[in-house]
Amino acid sequence: MAKVLDMPKLSPTMEEGVLSAWHKNEGDEVAVDDLLAEVETDKATMEFRAFDKGTLLKILAKPGAQVKLGQPVAILGAPGEDISALVAQAAGPAFPPPSMPGARPPTPAAPAAQDAPAPARVPTDIRASGVVERRPGGGISPETIPPPETSAPPAQRDPPVGSVLERTAFPAPGFGDGGQAGPDAGGRVLASPYVRKVAREKGIDLQGAHGSGTGGRVLPTDLDTMSVQGASPLARIAPTAPPAGAAARAPLLEEAEVRALSPMRRTIAKRLTESKTTVPHFYLRIDVDVAELMKLRADINAELASPASAGRAANGGGAEAAKVSLNDLLIKACAIALVHVPECNASYSPDAILVHRRVDISVAVAIPDGLVTPVVRNADRKSVAAIASEVRDLAARARSRKLKPEEMSDGTFSISNLGMFGIDEFAAVINPPEGAILAVGQVRDVPVVFDGQVVPGKRLALTLSCDHRVVDGAIGAAFLAELKRLVEHPLRVLAG
Amino acid sequence: MTHSLRFRDALREAMIEEMDRDDRVFLMGEEVGHYQGAYKVSEGMLAKFGPRRVIDTPIAEAGFAGVGIGAAIVGLRPIVEFMTWNFSAVAFDQILNNAAKMRQMSGGQLDCPIVFRGPNASARQVGSQHSHAMEHFYAHVPGLKVVAPAFPDDAKGLLKSAIRDDNPVLVMESETLYGVKGDVPEGDVLVPLGKARIARQGTHVTIAAYSRMTHVALEAAALLESEGIAAEVIDLRSLRPLDENTLVASVERTHRLVVVHEGWPYGGVGAEVVDRVQRLAFDALAAPILRVATLDVPMPYSANLELACIPQPERVAAAVRRVVGEF
Repeated sequence: MAKVLDMPKLSPTMEEGVLSAWHKNEGDEVAVDDLLAEVETDKATMEFRAFDKGTLLKILAKPGAQVKLGQPVAILGAPGEDISALVAQAAGPAFPPPSMPGARPPTPAAPAAQDAPAPARVPTDIRASGVVERRPGGGISPETIPPPETSAPPAQRDPPVGSVLERTAFPAPGFGDGGQAGPDAGGRVLASPYVRKVAREKGIDLQGAHGSGTGGRVLPTDLDTMSVQGASPLARIAPTAPPAGAAARAPLLEEAEVRALSPMRRTIAKRLTESKTTVPHFYLRIDVDVAELMKLRADINAELASPASAGRAANGGGAEAAKVSLNDLLIKACAIALVHVPECNASYSPDAILVHRRVDISVAVAIPDGLVTPVVRNADRKSVAAIASEVRDLAARARSRKLKPEEMSDGTFSISNLGMFGIDEFAAVINPPEGAILAVGQVRDVPVVFDGQVVPGKRLALTLSCDHRVVDGAIGAAFLAELKRLVEHPLRVLAG
Repeated sequence: MTHSLRFRDALREAMIEEMDRDDRVFLMGEEVGHYQGAYKVSEGMLAKFGPRRVIDTPIAEAGFAGVGIGAAIVGLRPIVEFMTWNFSAVAFDQILNNAAKMRQMSGGQLDCPIVFRGPNASARQVGSQHSHAMEHFYAHVPGLKVVAPAFPDDAKGLLKSAIRDDNPVLVMESETLYGVKGDVPEGDVLVPLGKARIARQGTHVTIAAYSRMTHVALEAAALLESEGIAAEVIDLRSLRPLDENTLVASVERTHRLVVVHEGWPYGGVGAEVVDRVQRLAFDALAAPILRVATLDVPMPYSANLELACIPQPERVAAAVRRVVGEF
């Protein structure tokens, strides 16, 4: 018995995924737990493994296809099995909004894809209470019943069972002429009052929209993937015709290059918008003297590079691991400061403040097309060298998209460093539900006054973004003072 | 402080407290005294209050409904029990033309502070003539108030409010709810007329129901929960006046509504709810509002057919799956 394989939920926040590569071809034997495909989720590239054995009869989602949770991706069964009904079913509309994977009603044999042979147009009594206009020839008025290429085959036009209350303007699947409709002759888009209202508020033009609901109905969840100008989620990658007004005003403007939103880009957009609009941010900036810290770092790295250490490293973790960055030292310094000022290591929840007993530091890592925040767990209890090698490993796997979701979640505090890009200072957006994030600039060579003399000095700007629901100004200042004390007496960083 | 009471005991507690509080309040109806109530709602009340305040009537609904209305007009506050609301059909003229019209026709000189109460809608296999959901007929009438509690605390609180109201108030109970237990606040706690309550919170769909159908809606919500659909259940409690604010606020959160009631689908309370919500929350709706009602036929006697006619949790769940899954 062949079955349709749906896109599984591969991370806790996954709503859709890009099927990046198939590891099996049509006709291949599949054993339980075989790697079927790789799926790029909002967090990482995940393995999609088989739950059942069988033969991969049909691949429905081509590599590169963006597939919502629960949508069909392939058909598994016995060799030679007739799967035409399943293919037709899979090509039909999918009802449940992705946020409710359990909501799928038993799917009737739904209308096939657009290129299926058109069934003969038949008169019907299903909507007989004055809705369907019969024509003398036995056909149905095009004003009431849209073209037949999407209408259900006649065999499914069973008379309804149940009461008059089950009829709607839009019939249930399996209930009479289900599955037809779509934009009607006048171009009216199928969308509920609620969808139209949200579209108005978001500035989305529904003209010509074709949604993922039955017959092209635009569902509330479709609006999440529609661009402000664009209409059809299916057509959103293709440049859409600009609105008539815009064309009249600026006919000569060159069209923008349209780049599809990756799952990660969507997640960044969603989470950071949520953070910046719902978390009351404020910012504290401090300049710290890092001359001692830089000297210590140079000493440590010189020592690690010495023949004795290099030999140890070669026997142990590899020579590459033996180097400590300024950021590694700052992670350790922050971890110690958070132990001393635990109120900064806290999250807001509607009922209570959660003061974390663990110090798990999220480290922002830039990767092509975005950024991720792998977490260094229990950073307060690790040596600087251990933190250095862990961060190096996490960053390398982040760049190859191999981090597991659990390695990027449940941090308690974040550090973001743009010093390597020549940025003197900046303020970062809080990574909820964490209560604060530290933005680190570059080390600046500045003239400083010491004992009445102008001498060369090294300074570093640190900016703390705080969630004011958790961290008040005085608390944030106490944390920064503690951090400054540690950084300016860096042996404490090693001792702590 | 609360105590656990059955629905019938909560009703009795309300009547006893109000009769203790106000000596103008009295109870009359068939078998309310010596037989201790056809469903034992008035058990012990004859012994406590005596035959002047707990009055057994002949089997003549038009007569004793009229006597009660007359008593109310001249200053008493009667509680008239119908053995079932089905039997109120022969007293319909009294309720429609006298109770509901008296204040308006007297130019405000006369009040009619009367309560009619009794079991309503289907019981189990009592046939087509004894299974009517009469609230739809009465809620149609200006001048009447109609309530239909689902839980013992609301039964007590609403009946107390009904007795103190200066208008005719009709209390729709249910034979199948009389044995249902629930926590009831002790002391003089009233439930206001015209206020719904959210019996269960949810985010994906609102199910509006009342009386026994609230329990059916809650069972449906439990079924749906296992499918990942969080249904909010609103117990209307009061059918006229109708708490449209609670309905609209809920639909503005869930964008979908299913209305469940006993009684036929043509017109009625469910149709009224649908009308209000589509007018007041038009922009909030993501799906057509569906109703789940008793099928459009006289109630069959056969147990299986009766079950098929009355809304069941699975039928409610199916309607919810449609508005959630398709729109």
